[in-house]
Amino acid sequence: MSLRRKRTGLPEEVPFPVTPFLDMAFQLLAFFILTFRPPSNELRLDLYLPTAAAALPQWPQATAKAPSLDDPDLETDLVVAVRANPDGSIGNLKLGDTAVTDLSSLEARLTRYRSVLSGQPLRIRLEAPDILRYEEAAKLIATCSRAGVSSVKLSGRGEDLP
Amino acid sequence: MRRKVRGSSSDRFELNLTPLLDVVLQLITFFMMLVHFGSRIEGQTPSVHLPIAAAALPGADLGLDRLVVAIDREGRLVVADAVLDPVASARWWGDQAKVRRDARKALGGNASELPTTVVLRADKDATYGVVRKALAQAQRSGFARFSLIVLREDQP
Repeated sequence: MSLRRKRTGLPEEVPFPVTPFLDMAFQLLAFFILTFRPPSNELRLDLYLPTAAAALPQWPQATAKAPSLDDPDLETDLVVAVRANPDGSIGNLKLGDTAVTDLSSLEARLTRYRSVLSGQPLRIRLEAPDILRYEEAAKLIATCSRAGVSSVKLSGRGEDLP
Repeated sequence: MRRKVRGSSSDRFELNLTPLLDVVLQLITFFMMLVHFGSRIEGQTPSVHLPIAAAALPGADLGLDRLVVAIDREGRLVVADAVLDPVASARWWGDQAKVRRDARKALGGNASELPTTVVLRADKDATYGVVRKALAQAQRSGFARFSLIVLREDQP
């Protein structure tokens, strides 16, 4: 007796019910679209402000020395001094004794300075008057952190808070 | 003239659903990967408009031990939608530090400097002086780690 069946014509088509599958897929899609929230564009500026007295220089002794690879006592603590306009915007900006025109040139100077420090942590004391708008101060801190400054200390003009 | 019989197998219109299903499944995967349940960012208050600092870089993940506070444009401390005056805010910092210090002592840890990260959402129109003084107040209470929240670009 032969066990094999002889095929006759085309094979029988097995119907696959796509409709319920599609219904479910559309329901899932609707759910995810309705609950979708675009990712937040918030960023953080991390600050470490030790509770013990910080060993940062006091104004006005701290000055930005000209970077030199031969200098063994290269200053690692710099002061960024800001003068504010009456509306709270940045009036003028100084890195040590050097006047800086804007934030991008401050970043360039800090990056250059950090590269000659060859791995030593660069610390900044931001000295600004209280009337400076926080947004301007946040931009300054962000610029310092992008330039690779390891810590930023905040102080007022002529006073040094803990 | 002969008319075609409707429904005959030869001219049945068949919709090819496979590419449609592919696209739908890809969309589902996309949304599933970006899903974020919960409608509110921690500490977000409508009265605070964050500053924009495009130069900021994304930080590391925040630890579990964090304290989220906000400062509105008038310079007042906003904690869990309650606005605190300067006296109350000084007391609040002290209370928060004491709770954490007691917990650390109970666990046998060092209570001098708290490991808590203070997440500060200050309004862009607040002054540097207000923010600096709030940080100093927190610092005096024993907090040392701070995170200032800024925006990469203006929110739509």
